[in-house]
Amino acid sequence: MVDAARHPKVDVRTYTTVERVEGYVGNFKVQLREKARHVIADRCNGCGECAKACPIEVPNYFEMNLAPRKAAYVPMSQSVPLRYTIDEDACIHCYKCVDACGALEAIDFSQEDKIAWEDIGSIVVATGFNHFDPSVIPEYGYSRYPNVITAMEMERLNNSAGPTTGNLIRPSDQKNPQRLAIINCVGSRDKRFNPWCSNFCCMYAIKNAVLLKQMNPQLEISIYYMDIRTPSKGYEEFYDRARSMGIRFIQGRPSLITEDPKTRNLFVHAEDVVLGKISELEYDMVMLNQAAVPQLDVDTVSSVLNITQSPGGWFMEYHPKLRPVDSPTDGIFLAGACQGLKDIPSSVSSGLATASRAGRILHSDEWEIEPIIAQVWEDRCVMAQGKVCGVCARACPYGAIVIEEGKAASVTVAKCHGCGGCVAECPHNAITQMHFTDAQVLAQMRALLADKPEEKVFAFRCHWCSYGGADLAGTSHFDYSANERGIRVMCSARMDPDFLYEAYRLGAGAVLYSGCHPQDCHYITGQKVGATRAERLAKIFEKMEMTPGRFRVEWISAAEGDKYARVINELQQVINDIPHDQLRQEIERLKPEMEKRARRMYETPGVDKAIEYSEEMARIITAQEVKSGA
Amino acid sequence: MEHEKVAELRDLLMALPGCEKVDMCFSCGTCVSRCPIQQKVEPAYNPRRLLKMVALNMQQDSFSSITPYLCSACDLCYAACPQEIHISAVLNGVKKLAVEAGFVTPLKTARVDALTCIGCGFCEKTCPYEAISLKEVNVPMRGKGLLIAEVDAAKCMACGTCSMICRSNSIELQAWENSEGMVDSIWSWFETAEMGGEG
Repeated sequence: MVDAARHPKVDVRTYTTVERVEGYVGNFKVQLREKARHVIADRCNGCGECAKACPIEVPNYFEMNLAPRKAAYVPMSQSVPLRYTIDEDACIHCYKCVDACGALEAIDFSQEDKIAWEDIGSIVVATGFNHFDPSVIPEYGYSRYPNVITAMEMERLNNSAGPTTGNLIRPSDQKNPQRLAIINCVGSRDKRFNPWCSNFCCMYAIKNAVLLKQMNPQLEISIYYMDIRTPSKGYEEFYDRARSMGIRFIQGRPSLITEDPKTRNLFVHAEDVVLGKISELEYDMVMLNQAAVPQLDVDTVSSVLNITQSPGGWFMEYHPKLRPVDSPTDGIFLAGACQGLKDIPSSVSSGLATASRAGRILHSDEWEIEPIIAQVWEDRCVMAQGKVCGVCARACPYGAIVIEEGKAASVTVAKCHGCGGCVAECPHNAITQMHFTDAQVLAQMRALLADKPEEKVFAFRCHWCSYGGADLAGTSHFDYSANERGIRVMCSARMDPDFLYEAYRLGAGAVLYSGCHPQDCHYITGQKVGATRAERLAKIFEKMEMTPGRFRVEWISAAEGDKYARVINELQQVINDIPHDQLRQEIERLKPEMEKRARRMYETPGVDKAIEYSEEMARIITAQEVKSGA
Repeated sequence: MEHEKVAELRDLLMALPGCEKVDMCFSCGTCVSRCPIQQKVEPAYNPRRLLKMVALNMQQDSFSSITPYLCSACDLCYAACPQEIHISAVLNGVKKLAVEAGFVTPLKTARVDALTCIGCGFCEKTCPYEAISLKEVNVPMRGKGLLIAEVDAAKCMACGTCSMICRSNSIELQAWENSEGMVDSIWSWFETAEMGGEG
């Protein structure tokens, strides 16, 4: 940190929040609020005279409130930059600090928050994690029993720079404990609070136990655990070392801690599951190894930066395996535990990875993006004719579409990720998606439904999830109907109502509308756009008195090959259950309505050629089948 | 092709309300150390072990275990379970299946004396486990179509509340005897009667 602050090209802004982010990769505009320190940063030399003079004491958050700090303070002695801050909430304006500062004249009570816009090329989010508050678990008695402490409190008590200069004492009587219990998984792996495993606490418990045992070999330490997880290099060996030092490991999750009110000693009630026996052992002190949880303001950061969250509140990466440090928004990267809990080595590697990912943008004059972007046909956009629309801008999860009155909508190319939501939503077919144009999709559909369409199960699959699911169904050799025909679009948001009308017009027996599960969507809210539309379509088809089941909406992840196979088989069953003549009659009955509804698509540029071409293809296919005697 | 599968203990149990999460148990032991019955009544009682036996389809072992019969459904473990498994519902489900399979509860459950029951229904209202209901039955030597309290042995937890509240002293806690035992006892009664006759 000190090296970073000294580097001529590194500008460290502390006590500053990001308020707004605009723009796109390489061209972000970021609004920063530098909060008023009431200390002029250039003049302060960090001597600390103001803190000495300050008469106000408040709990020190950095010391886990185990020690006080002054209203004029630095968060910790190694703070970078070493500049004091006057805590406005605590200050009584006695101005003793001003006198103590003397000739430096660094203290300025007239200072106000500074708001400024900055040009930023790429953004790295490294906001870390927070600690779970164990006082919400009543059975462990944290905050009721003074000798039950958290892991972070232990960290301060055990630290030579901490409030007790590293002397481990129990809060009730300031005596050194002789028997210490460490309880793992407090609030983690617990469906009542946080279902996740907090990743590093097993090793953290062992580290603390080993440190304490080294300092005081007389100290008896027991670690209560459900499972000890030591998956990285050297971790299992460290666990071995802890056991050989005489640290006791008890498998069993304590259900209750009780206190002897006279001695303030604690009894930990647990079943030793290996022995199948209950133990109620007495300890002088208990450390709760609490869960790690997302930061309190994670929702604010997430909305300012337009980053989605995974279940639990961690920031979502672009791809969990292939692009683990990229956020879904180009030019914004995720480092460390804000993306998902990591221990120190993994956090450092993810930090280094983000640095190189972010640096790539700063070093290039041009930025390559996927070519599947949306484009507006300006002559077709009704905004250009002075009408009020803006449907496309509302559908865009990235804010990539700019609308101005009297002008055709325009796509900010660098922001577009190619989900195709705007294309499908546009009521006037005035937008197209490169490589997934209406004409291209239409040509595919016509070819696939050229022969005996009423027997076919036609599937629209999104690139990221349901297409992967279909792929998995195939590679896993799951049995599913051979009448399945499918096409791929980037997102369920691209599944244009026109495509569905066209599929039914061509006579498809059943149609599947599939995409990612809502939390898995690779286009932030793309699935939501698709799901809303699917609901609307289902109602329309119901009103047309289409046989129920011929239109099906399913969210299938890339891991759900079995589900894909099952859904296809069920759709096949729907077709089988309708008498053939009845199905043909229904298709014929709905044809004019479908044609009417899809009419705008036929006007779209390129579609006429696609129809001509695909009809030729269909003719060849049927001719070949006739020749081969099929 | 779906293969024909015989429903095993785990499948049967998961179909019962409250038992859906039985697979989620990771054997942390919280339930056992929280349980008053384990600590005060019966050391062999162990819900954690029973859950494991159920997940592994160990039907004989779980049906003959004491655990499903002793649970009083106080639900202290339910509130403490990190996997939110409704353990008392699982134990109750195992008990239900065990009784259906012909296992007899080792508890001294409530039994109604049909000759003296007046069918007031106090016991039905007071039973915390909904094990008692009033039924119209024919009682030999008393009459036909009488409203008499009936105890469902699968639900009864032998708490004795009904016996306390009964106005006609018609309910007692007793061990259920199997038919063989009953035959034996009839024989012994005959024998003593014969002996008495001789003497």
